Amino acid sequence: MSEYAVSMEHITKFFPGVKALDDVQLHLRTGEVMALLGENGAGKSTLMKILSGVYTRDSGDIEIFGNRVEGDLNTRQAQELGVAIIHQELNMCQHLTVANNMFLGRELIKGGRLDFAEMNRQAVEQLAKLGINDLAPNTVVGTLPVGRQQMVEIAKALLINAKVLVMDEPSSALSNAEIDEMFRIVKELRSQGCAIVYISHRLQELHHIVDSVTIMRDGHYITEGKFADFTMDEIIANMVGREITEQFPRDEAHQGKKVLEVKNLRAGRAVKGISFDAYEGEVLGFSGLVGAGCTETMRAIFGADAKDSGEVILDGKPLNINSPADAIRQGIVLAPEDRKKDGLCTKLSIRENIALPNLDLICNKIGTVLRGHENKMIEKGKSSLTIKMANAEVAAGSLSGGNQQKIVVAKWLARDSRVVIFDEPTRGIDVAAKVEIYQIINQLKKQGVVVIIVSSELPEVMGISDRILVMCNGRITGEVDPRTVTEQEIMTYATQFGSNEG
Amino acid sequence: MGKKVTISQSAASVITAFVGVVILMIVFSFMNPNFIKFDSIMALLRSIVPYLLVGIGQAYVCITGNIDLSIGSVLGMSAMITATLICNGSSPILAILASFVCCMAVGFINGVLVGKFKLPPFIATLGTMTIGRGIAQLANNNYNTDNIGSAGAAQAFKDILYYGKTAGIFNGVWIALIIWAIFFYILSFTRSGRHIYAIGSNVDAARLSGVNVFAATTKAYMVSSFCAFVTGLVTLAQSGMGDMSAGMSYEMYAVAAAVIGGISTLGGSGLLVGVIAGASVWAILQSGLTFAKVPVAYRNIVIGILVVACVLFDVIRRNGTHRPKAKS
Repeated sequence: MSEYAVSMEHITKFFPGVKALDDVQLHLRTGEVMALLGENGAGKSTLMKILSGVYTRDSGDIEIFGNRVEGDLNTRQAQELGVAIIHQELNMCQHLTVANNMFLGRELIKGGRLDFAEMNRQAVEQLAKLGINDLAPNTVVGTLPVGRQQMVEIAKALLINAKVLVMDEPSSALSNAEIDEMFRIVKELRSQGCAIVYISHRLQELHHIVDSVTIMRDGHYITEGKFADFTMDEIIANMVGREITEQFPRDEAHQGKKVLEVKNLRAGRAVKGISFDAYEGEVLGFSGLVGAGCTETMRAIFGADAKDSGEVILDGKPLNINSPADAIRQGIVLAPEDRKKDGLCTKLSIRENIALPNLDLICNKIGTVLRGHENKMIEKGKSSLTIKMANAEVAAGSLSGGNQQKIVVAKWLARDSRVVIFDEPTRGIDVAAKVEIYQIINQLKKQGVVVIIVSSELPEVMGISDRILVMCNGRITGEVDPRTVTEQEIMTYATQFGSNEG
Repeated sequence: MGKKVTISQSAASVITAFVGVVILMIVFSFMNPNFIKFDSIMALLRSIVPYLLVGIGQAYVCITGNIDLSIGSVLGMSAMITATLICNGSSPILAILASFVCCMAVGFINGVLVGKFKLPPFIATLGTMTIGRGIAQLANNNYNTDNIGSAGAAQAFKDILYYGKTAGIFNGVWIALIIWAIFFYILSFTRSGRHIYAIGSNVDAARLSGVNVFAATTKAYMVSSFCAFVTGLVTLAQSGMGDMSAGMSYEMYAVAAAVIGGISTLGGSGLLVGVIAGASVWAILQSGLTFAKVPVAYRNIVIGILVVACVLFDVIRRNGTHRPKAKS
């Protein structure tokens, strides 16, 4: 048993009405990176929360570095034993500085006062170990892009001398350059004898870094072994329990007439003069590094952010968009990047979420919501998207990530929009649900809807789009054909910071 | 998975509140059997009216995730403006209309400050509360008004709102119930109601779903001012004179009625029927403790503890249910 850094046996966990984990095991060696794989709802996060002390197990044994854990494990103990989790959703205090966040709860004191100098120094040192040399420790975290914040979170965990690092979807918000850097760090930690659990849905990137794999499904342990011993198809089959033949189902595009024209869009510092056209029946992909401005461009088109200048023309008519309500009414909708913050009202029911932007379709003249119409709308959404839910009255926040995203999409499918924009359509979603979202995108395409997707996952944007626009530093730097372009070419465009054009 | 159907949390709070009402009735009638005589019950119902009305308004604002501290001042404005105009010869109808316009203006201003300029609701409504109280004082040049008199129209005013009965029950109770029913319908069955819940639940997501946040915020504040306005009229009908201090602390009673009734001050949840229970608990406690001859100071302490306990319960329950999220 003591050859393992972490050994979990026969772990079972109940929540009211649900058996989240059923006799699950996990064996992690020192100096090893293990991928913990499984669909959303498989129990990966639950298992890791038990390891880090956030949840208590109902039965089973845990041994960390040979120390058998007697009774319940709380977060303090887990931390002392060297376990640290980097969460998928960042836990940064947005108003505090980088150094403050890194020392949160363990502030250094000298002579009765906070030792800012030492905390700043150590923060800079730790960030440098991660290869980040241009981040001042007194930067307010809230001003940093998400990718940077995550780097601070990783640095914070390392500062506590974690020996077992659990990384939950670490790359989902990072640019490719940052991902490479993160891989470098992970390999460095591995060579120092750390044990790393790597939870990710980005199966294509695992081979860079992963030694072994443990696969879960529906709260059960399925299998474990050396990563090299599995083919990708076998892994997916184990995760899903069935074969997924095509990861990126792409239908043939029949490019119709020009539907959308964006002319010289400018918004703040992130959108510096964007012009493009979009056609009926095509999927237009936007690709760029973190901070390139893709999300900001879409938000400006949708009216979520104010624009400084520029025109949006739909079917030849210039649109007047000053708010999302305007955009929605005139036929442009957006499924936002941050699902929890901007996409759903998590406390409200599924029904209320789907109905919210469509109340104009299901109300009578005095504003009363017509239940019959509403129920029909919900049924249609539920069946066309195969959303897994007990009933439509449960809170939207109680669903898994994949199902939550389907609710966000269902909201917009209920209307006949001309342009549907997806910002990171499959972030944090398991393989099977991803394919379902892609199929919806294809369906929309077939109906003649203009689909725009913004994605930081190159395989996704290359696999699903018919045409790709690459952005860098607020400008479009290249237009490529996904069928013939290479990842390198896209990367080149995405790093063209010195682009001309005023 | 077989998840069994559970009563929603909001419904559970409401039921708890009504159980509370029943328990209190039983306890107080043991302490003093006069408590459940028919006349006492009728008087009790009438005493619930002001708390119910202001509770409805505060509930609307709480559901949007905000708060309205100006309720008491608007109540005072309503009473003073109406009384001053009547005492200076205008007909009650015109006086009421003038008062209505002034009170709704306050609600609109609150909506603009919080919904458009994004001021923190506490600060914004603290400001309008102070200004409103000043206006109430200025209405009659810093004096309380005379009695609005027993002339035909004035007497009708008093009877319709306070002293008269219809079918054996005081008019005020009917008026409060009708107003409750209208706002219940709006909140539960119309688009505006959905928008109000949405911005309280997640204002960013609501905006990206096309909700006009300014409009929904302002509607809630105007409902609140309207309820305060009506309560001011009832208060005036009861005392017959405009009192500059009418309505003091009523915003807090309104919060109590809403919170005891299960409305969360964090926004996005709560059923309006709970306000009936909340206002009733409040009124019964006031009345019952008086019947039981408990000194005023103890009454305030009891009531204060109750409000804190209800909010605590709500918060604990919310944090408790963060645990059993869907497995992932």
